[in-house]
Amino acid sequence: MDASIRDKVAVIGVGCTKFGDLFDQNLADLMVEAATAACADAGVGLDEVDAAWLGTFSPGMNGGKATITLADALRFHGRPITRVENYCATGTDAFRNAVMAVASGQVKMALVLGAEKLKDRPVRGLQREGIHPLLEYGTTAPGMFALAANRYMNTYGVKRESLAKVAVKNHAAGALNPKAHFQMKVTEEQVLKAALIAYPFGLFDCCPTTDGAAAAIICSTETARALGKPLITVKGMGLAVRTGKPFLDPTCDYMGFPATQEASAQAYKAAGIKNPATEVSFAEVHDCFTWTELTNTEDLGFCKAGEGARFVEEGHSTIGGKLPVNPSGGLKSFGHPVGATGVRMVYEIVTQLREQAGPRQVKNARIGLAHNLGGPGAVSCVLLLGRDT
Amino acid sequence: MIGITAFAAAIPAYRVARDTIAAAWESRSLGGRLAAHRFDEDSLTLAASAAADCLSTLPGKTAGGLYFASTTAPFLERLNAGLIAAFLDLPAGARTADFANSLRAGLFALGAATDAVAAGRSENILVAAADTRNAPAGGDEEQFYGDAAAAIAIGSANVLVEIVSRGGVSDDFLETVRRDRDDYVTSFASKFTSERGYAHGMAAAIRKNLQQAKLEPAQISRLVLSSPDKGAHLALAKKLGFQPAQVQDTAWDQLGVTGTAMPLLLLAAALENAEPGEYILVAAHGDGAGAMILRATDALAGYRPRAAFAQQLASAIEFRSYTKWRKSRDYLREQDDTLEVSNIWYAKEETQNVRLRGVECGHCGTRQLQHQLLCPKCRKTDAIKEVALARTGSVFTYAVDQLFPSPFPPTAMAVVDLDGGGRIYCEVVDCDPDKVQIGLPVELTIRRLKEGGGLHHYYWKCRPKRS
Repeated sequence: MDASIRDKVAVIGVGCTKFGDLFDQNLADLMVEAATAACADAGVGLDEVDAAWLGTFSPGMNGGKATITLADALRFHGRPITRVENYCATGTDAFRNAVMAVASGQVKMALVLGAEKLKDRPVRGLQREGIHPLLEYGTTAPGMFALAANRYMNTYGVKRESLAKVAVKNHAAGALNPKAHFQMKVTEEQVLKAALIAYPFGLFDCCPTTDGAAAAIICSTETARALGKPLITVKGMGLAVRTGKPFLDPTCDYMGFPATQEASAQAYKAAGIKNPATEVSFAEVHDCFTWTELTNTEDLGFCKAGEGARFVEEGHSTIGGKLPVNPSGGLKSFGHPVGATGVRMVYEIVTQLREQAGPRQVKNARIGLAHNLGGPGAVSCVLLLGRDT
Repeated sequence: MIGITAFAAAIPAYRVARDTIAAAWESRSLGGRLAAHRFDEDSLTLAASAAADCLSTLPGKTAGGLYFASTTAPFLERLNAGLIAAFLDLPAGARTADFANSLRAGLFALGAATDAVAAGRSENILVAAADTRNAPAGGDEEQFYGDAAAAIAIGSANVLVEIVSRGGVSDDFLETVRRDRDDYVTSFASKFTSERGYAHGMAAAIRKNLQQAKLEPAQISRLVLSSPDKGAHLALAKKLGFQPAQVQDTAWDQLGVTGTAMPLLLLAAALENAEPGEYILVAAHGDGAGAMILRATDALAGYRPRAAFAQQLASAIEFRSYTKWRKSRDYLREQDDTLEVSNIWYAKEETQNVRLRGVECGHCGTRQLQHQLLCPKCRKTDAIKEVALARTGSVFTYAVDQLFPSPFPPTAMAVVDLDGGGRIYCEVVDCDPDKVQIGLPVELTIRRLKEGGGLHHYYWKCRPKRS
């Protein structure tokens, strides 16, 4: 029996809400909107879906706990629901789990729903939860990534200007995307002059906190063929977890994220990809901070270690470049509702593979990669979707 | 022979100019500066810093006890000395006690330590005195009180300064007072107080000691006097027949009146320059007065304190606004934190968080602060043992965080690789955040972190290593 996941599961519908400051919508509203859109796109009713996977990081006061969040929001009763939480890899991991259930034959048609309401909280920025009050005192999301960025920039002699180029690129793409949180372009000068958040990150080096939801309907490739759907299939998946406390682990050198390297290796192996730099058509990667995109392109094998700055400077990751990165606008301008992001990436990849991305369309879209990194840096999930014809 | 076996001063890095205070009230400035604690420092952390420095110069870097003296102890029920002893990782059998409620408490503690050592009950008891007194805002005394600490070890081996005589007088004289309900000191400062309180008591104690030691004023090389103000000690010295040159500078212009710490702090300063054979007289006022006559031994010539008084005196990060200086004093008291901890959790984690004992793998030698049953490197579980981690290291990487809650952002955080192994993540203090860089040598120090659940919460931070 072929253990690889390649071409066993197809994505037949996707939906996505507008991402942004959705002050008037609560979590349930977003979930209904995304799920309805995905079902309509797939041409199936919610009652035809056998099981659901919910990816949400922190529902907060109104969101409920566990799987009841989805059962109540969609009145999805009498069927299995699994709640997945894996830091920023929540969305991709929810998708991954649903894929395995469908591939096993246990589930015929599954709904994957990623949803997050970050704006309803009383504090600014992403809250750290479940951390040690002393050993992890002083940790913030930007601060944690800044630790890694400072070490990297010191090692490779990279300057803030290289980071700014990522912001400029991703805002330019977001400006072409009506669903993105931000639709404004920014200049390099604006990025460099913005207020500092955690050196080397200024305001425009950080992704926003965002509300949003995205959904996908998946089924076996056979079912998709029988329904007459164009085949967009899962080519490979990977998940890897590393220490959540590199700041206490003396064996961590803060160079690259091993979790990304390992998760992507798993995905490439399943997909039969030997040289990602030439075989991946485009990628949606986790640019929670501009610097993270630099290191992601290295960890995913798009360029060599230490070459991330050169990759963006030479224009390879623009929509027209040899390996477009974040044609959706990325977390940087699309936004990052934590649990929704991974599923939103699936939405973008499917849209690109169907050649429906309009001004954001990448050429010869055949294999798209989705990458999440959370924890910070501890968990990575990578998905590969492709279209053969 | 019983005497002083180690000593250390702990002056906070921050200062506030008296001009800054006066400008806030449009009143007259007395000139100079006050030593001022950062928002995360208190009498306990200052005392811990002095005690740690003192301990580092003792043989085996261990002590038989820790006595804490202050009128501004952060805990009124919970032994402050016990917590400091835990931060110093002193053994369970160490003698611990708090001395309180008088500006003379430091001398009471020195006396008790001397008695314990003389009775053979202990060796090398660290006496750490500290104060962070507050005067009413806008009042006369607001330009008087500075924050500081000092630690003096008393022992019977490798004595640097022998105790020749001790003695004092008790007098329930109203000089400076604070009730349990008051945040601020009430002062009865006046000519009457200076003469009938301070001078009267100090003179009695000093004369008593000179008599006991059979010495004349001229034989005292250094006269170390606590003082309530800029000059009362000079007038006293003159009255008793001492020369101005014999009187130890009280650092009024640089530090202010430092409460219970003052006599020990000035003594530590004096001892840094004392020569073998010299007689030193230290006297402290408060509810009467007490004094000791000491004699420097030959061993003093070879002693170096961990961080010299003059060097600490020179360190100066300025509070440039009155508001910021007052905020640094009020912040932790006003903080609306809700960090509640269970004492089960606390007890379980004490070895790691407080004593800074980590673990070491017997197979590969990897050290880690977090107590874990398997090695982070080789994953083996059968040779993990507890080990004391070093309190010095260097910055592996850092972040300067603008958003992390702090009264004075930004907060500089560092991943510190400790000498000999182990890694810790902590705030970098007592330095400009722009100066933090990879490779910066740092040393750990205890600071107050948060409030909640009935506790002040303390943890490690780091500061640039003092040379």
